[in-house]
Amino acid sequence: MSDLVVLVIEDEPEVRAALVRDLEAAFTTVRVDQAADVDDALAAMAEADDAGDVVGLILADHRLPGRSGVDLLVELHERDDTRHIRKVLVTGQADQQDTIRAVNEAGLDHYIAKPWDPADLVRVVVDELTDFVVETGLDPLAHMRDLDAARLAAAFAARGRPE
Amino acid sequence: MADSLRARRARRPFPLRQAGLASAVLWFVGVLVVGPAGDLTVPASRMLAIFGAAVVLWITEAIPLSATSIMVILAEILLVSDQALVSIDDFEGRPYAEYFATLAHPVLMLFLGGFVLAECAAKYRLDRNLAGVLLRPFGTSPTAIVAGLMVITAVLSMFMSNTATTAAMMAVVLPVTAGLSPTDRLRTGLILCIPVAANIGGLGTPVGSPPNAIALGRLADEGIRVDFVQWMALAVPIVVVVLATAWLLIVRLYPAEASSLDVRIGGAFDRSTQAIILYVTFAVTIVGWVTEPLHGIPSAIIGFLPVVILFATKVFGVDDLRTINWHVLWLVGGGIALGLGVSDTGLDDWLVGLVDWGSLSTIVLATTLAAVALVMSTIISNSATANLVVPIGVSLATSAAVDLDPLLAGVIIAMACSLAMALPISTPPNAIAYASGHVQTKDLTIVGAVVGVVGLVLVLYVAPPIWEAVGLL
Repeated sequence: MSDLVVLVIEDEPEVRAALVRDLEAAFTTVRVDQAADVDDALAAMAEADDAGDVVGLILADHRLPGRSGVDLLVELHERDDTRHIRKVLVTGQADQQDTIRAVNEAGLDHYIAKPWDPADLVRVVVDELTDFVVETGLDPLAHMRDLDAARLAAAFAARGRPE
Repeated sequence: MADSLRARRARRPFPLRQAGLASAVLWFVGVLVVGPAGDLTVPASRMLAIFGAAVVLWITEAIPLSATSIMVILAEILLVSDQALVSIDDFEGRPYAEYFATLAHPVLMLFLGGFVLAECAAKYRLDRNLAGVLLRPFGTSPTAIVAGLMVITAVLSMFMSNTATTAAMMAVVLPVTAGLSPTDRLRTGLILCIPVAANIGGLGTPVGSPPNAIALGRLADEGIRVDFVQWMALAVPIVVVVLATAWLLIVRLYPAEASSLDVRIGGAFDRSTQAIILYVTFAVTIVGWVTEPLHGIPSAIIGFLPVVILFATKVFGVDDLRTINWHVLWLVGGGIALGLGVSDTGLDDWLVGLVDWGSLSTIVLATTLAAVALVMSTIISNSATANLVVPIGVSLATSAAVDLDPLLAGVIIAMACSLAMALPISTPPNAIAYASGHVQTKDLTIVGAVVGVVGLVLVLYVAPPIWEAVGLL
């Protein structure tokens, strides 16, 4: 059974650990993966792909050593095989230009300002991942425990598995 | 991207499916090559090849269930219709168009009407708003709320698919369970009562669930017409008793800690012109269905009325057409086509001749049919089970060797198919409840087994004498 993965990209170790901790506490069927910069993130995505796992959501900081988080999101948005991944910016420092670019060129799905409220963070991740599962045709029932169960049940019913 | 995800999943090995596909092909080719033998005539041997392959494919789901259905239709046209590739001496095959026509069988038109009404009800939130109105009289005590939820779910699933009903009602109960204490067993009871009631409610009307349509279609092809209200008269009392049993069991097994519950469903009714057209069409259709004995217009024709009216008035738009689960109609059509072929080619007589039925009493025979249907559909799809068991059961009942009313045989098999709900995989509603994480396999097994056994006892031994006495059979 392939895992559904959330990838957290954040260079500050403490902040990254806090994000991962908040997410892991909320999920049992979703794996939380982490990366410190863009290259690390691309390697983690390749690894997930090789393992047959599916990256459904990226939570990226904007300011990273080397290429920026927005650069990565734009690149992923331009690639056919990664365009569908839900993209969230978790940042305290993105200026207006970067944010505009993320919205216009990276198809940004959500913006979370630091410091985040854990409940808010989890709610956003649940919503975005539910969208991802419904849109990409993954088995809706596999993630009902963690994600929006009512919407996933409706998606399952709409697919009309014969009774 | 969605494609690459699907491709990735498809690459994973499915030993059961591959074995299923291989056995189906092997059986099909093998039986065709061996050909007739003994009492098995040429057309019956060809049909045996098709039937056996369909059995394997429907059980293993090596290909989608509805793909097996249309494959049955194609194979029948190519092997046993008047357009058979290799014609058969002394056998006039049925015109091939009639095999195609099973995809537009009147029973499917009736079902299509049900689908369109259900889609519109969901689109204009009529289902949830009606549920809200119906739940109000049940008050706030947990036992009464469970009863109310079960009644509403059963009533909705008589007209909507069991799965869509379950999904809609899950949206209602999930927030309620989230508000309960984690130790409150009522959480399980609330989630469990929905699929159970949806499965049971499916028995209630001809459009409630595909097995009913498969039985009615087969019976119609044997010249036995069962109207909408006659089916309801047969089935609704069973639904009521089985539902009450399930309710008693659930409230006893999952007692509530909470003393009252606040369940909110629906809101204000949509008052747009389109919604009002829907309400009127819905009411007229249901009145038309239940008054069939008065006006004599077949329910399939009445069922086509909402399709035309709602589509013409754009209440149900071109985009909404895509939401119809056409493959479910195909699945049923294939079952009806299989029944036609089995009876046309005399395969039914051959199958019936395999066993000395004269030595079996009617009640043993009926019990066997029902038990086979119940066990099979606990594991595989109810519709696939009905597709396989209905043709055999109805053929048996129409043969001289057996003293069983064909109508009774059809009803018993259809109901046994829908009463199977003891495992998460038994029905899609069960799968939804199980996936929510609030219901374990053992919860479904206990309640499902009791419902299955009580339901079968009713359908087999209690109801038939009553049906006969009141002239329903």
